[in-house]
Amino acid sequence: MTTAAFLSLLQGAGVTLVLSGAGIALGVPLGLLLGLIRWGRVPVLSPIVMVYVSLLRSTPAVTLCLLIFFAIPTMGIDIGPWTASVLTLGLNTAAFNCEIWRSGLNNFSPDQLEAARSFGMTPALRFRRIIFPQLWRACLPGLVNEMTLLIKSSPAIAVVGVVEITRAATRIGAQTYDPLPPMLVATGIYIVLIVVFVGLQRLTERLYGQAGAAA
Amino acid sequence: MVEHVGSTNPECVLDIRGLTKSFGTNVVLDGVSLTVERGKTVCLLGPSGSGKSTLLRCVNFLEKPDQGSIYLSGRRIGMREGGVIPMSTSELAQARARIGMVFQHFNLWPHLTVLQNLIEAPIHVQRRSRDEVVAEAEMLLERVGLTDKKDVFPNRLSGGQKQRVGIARALAMKPELLLFDEPTSALDPELVGEVVAVMKTLAEGGSTMLVVTHEMGFARETANEVVLMDGGRVVEKGQPSEFFTNPKTDRARQFLQRYVSA
Amino acid sequence: MTRDFGVVWEHADRLVEGLLNTIILTLVGASLALLIGSLVAILLMSSSRPVRLISQGIVDLMRCIPFLMLAYLAYYGLPSLGLNLDNWTAGLFAIVVYNTAYMAEIMRSIWIGLGRESIEAATAFGFRGPRLYTRIIFPQIFLAASPMIGNQLIQIIKDTAFLTIIAVPELTHAASSIQSQYFVPFAAFIAAVLIYWALCMLVEAGVFVVERLAEVRR
Repeated sequence: MTTAAFLSLLQGAGVTLVLSGAGIALGVPLGLLLGLIRWGRVPVLSPIVMVYVSLLRSTPAVTLCLLIFFAIPTMGIDIGPWTASVLTLGLNTAAFNCEIWRSGLNNFSPDQLEAARSFGMTPALRFRRIIFPQLWRACLPGLVNEMTLLIKSSPAIAVVGVVEITRAATRIGAQTYDPLPPMLVATGIYIVLIVVFVGLQRLTERLYGQAGAAA
Repeated sequence: MVEHVGSTNPECVLDIRGLTKSFGTNVVLDGVSLTVERGKTVCLLGPSGSGKSTLLRCVNFLEKPDQGSIYLSGRRIGMREGGVIPMSTSELAQARARIGMVFQHFNLWPHLTVLQNLIEAPIHVQRRSRDEVVAEAEMLLERVGLTDKKDVFPNRLSGGQKQRVGIARALAMKPELLLFDEPTSALDPELVGEVVAVMKTLAEGGSTMLVVTHEMGFARETANEVVLMDGGRVVEKGQPSEFFTNPKTDRARQFLQRYVSA
Repeated sequence: MTRDFGVVWEHADRLVEGLLNTIILTLVGASLALLIGSLVAILLMSSSRPVRLISQGIVDLMRCIPFLMLAYLAYYGLPSLGLNLDNWTAGLFAIVVYNTAYMAEIMRSIWIGLGRESIEAATAFGFRGPRLYTRIIFPQIFLAASPMIGNQLIQIIKDTAFLTIIAVPELTHAASSIQSQYFVPFAAFIAAVLIYWALCMLVEAGVFVVERLAEVRR
């Protein structure tokens, strides 16, 4: 394998990381919003979120990506492969993150909220000052675990032509008629990425205790 | 030392000679010798940590003794004849199948019903015919008073019922010897009686039993012999009538003061 | 829009064929993975430290590789080693290899939590070797692991969709082909998504039933 080929694999790794990062940036806050809706049993919205979570958790990332990439333009909205990819990863991970946030919220002791309420804190203030600072610590290990799973499902976006790691590897293989070396190097890149994330997860677990949710 | 081949007494079901066992530097058994004759019940008494349970577990090689020998109806257990070569796992498994064991924590198989617990080993270890084994198992369940529980899973039973299943399961193997490892220690006090009653009928019915227990009433009324262990040694043995009323050693007197008057 | 779903409905046979492939790949793949995973779990629980470390290392490594990467390795990579598999077989091969690691890890995690008592009793009653595993240990593991095995089954169903990339005619591939022929992307992929949903709910219902069975056998 040539240096150029290796560099294009690294470029693919860059694409994987940027799009995964964008998906996480979308999915983690969205998941929190969905989790709060479920936790607060918001009328009308809460059952909708429940269906959304159930549906998204059973939808393969590949199928979701194809759906978004091909169906949204028919509604007259222009969407490129990159946007479709970020939406796919973000919407998918949001469903799983919703469950992590929700379980963290459910584990929250009612006494504390009671106390906060008795001090006259508004709901927004209660959330910002009392709940969230504790919640994110409890949920972080679960969230990082979900990020690892997101990276592992990220090759799905290759289906709409994004040249991430796996697609870069098949490209090189097609050019050189020797697919095994680029595939092995690509596998090695994934292993490094995942090991870093698993290490990160262990670190957060040590810092903030057990994962708040079953992942 | 001359290796005895078998036992001189044909009535001797279990013959333990000079058993030693250490865990690290901790000597748990220190040259224990003991015999149990056919149809007799021997109770092993002693404070906790005296090595009783370890001795029992050595008999069927759940623990491997360091030295000494064990004979079951004249045949060496754990070692091949000659006492140098250890038994293969299949020989050991066959030997174990001749000994029934009743555990302190019942150790029933939770994924099997009561009846399935009884027939599991006779069918799959002893390779006996299913029909015969089932018929016998149903009789055994009747004997321990659990016929109506035969299709129930163990976690739906009380402790006393579990232990009666445990006893019936051991009997289903038609063992030459029954080992009881503190069979009533994990039971609520009000459930001890039903298990002791079953053990009594077994003893009176001619089963050969070695029982580790803290139930002094059982030992006194049912045992043919009691053996007091302390610090990994046999301190005193004798007829229960002798032992409980007129112990010979100070150690036995201390033990009885603590356990019987309490 | 209704017209689009009408088009998809006219070609429902293709979706059904894709679904059947998805189901067969999932069931055959999961069964083989469970079987081989059980053997690997025995290695993970070995009393020999080197065996334990090596097998755990391989299992952990396998779990760091994305499924599509493994499918590519099977489809494009194995021919370099002189092993030519058609796309269907390569897909199945990838499912089995990938999930063997997960199944083994699931079983190990249950195994270490399994009480020593029932295994000790089995030993005392003369069980050993394969029969100890098939009669006493694994039945208990499978019962306790059913929720985790169910989750993995759902994961496998979703992973089969990756195989459209190496042209395995599974459900997403069928939806894709209908959409590219008649240009009905929304209807075609929503139909696929709903079928996946139903399939996963079926698995969850199955887990629910097995869990009721397991509850009385604990």
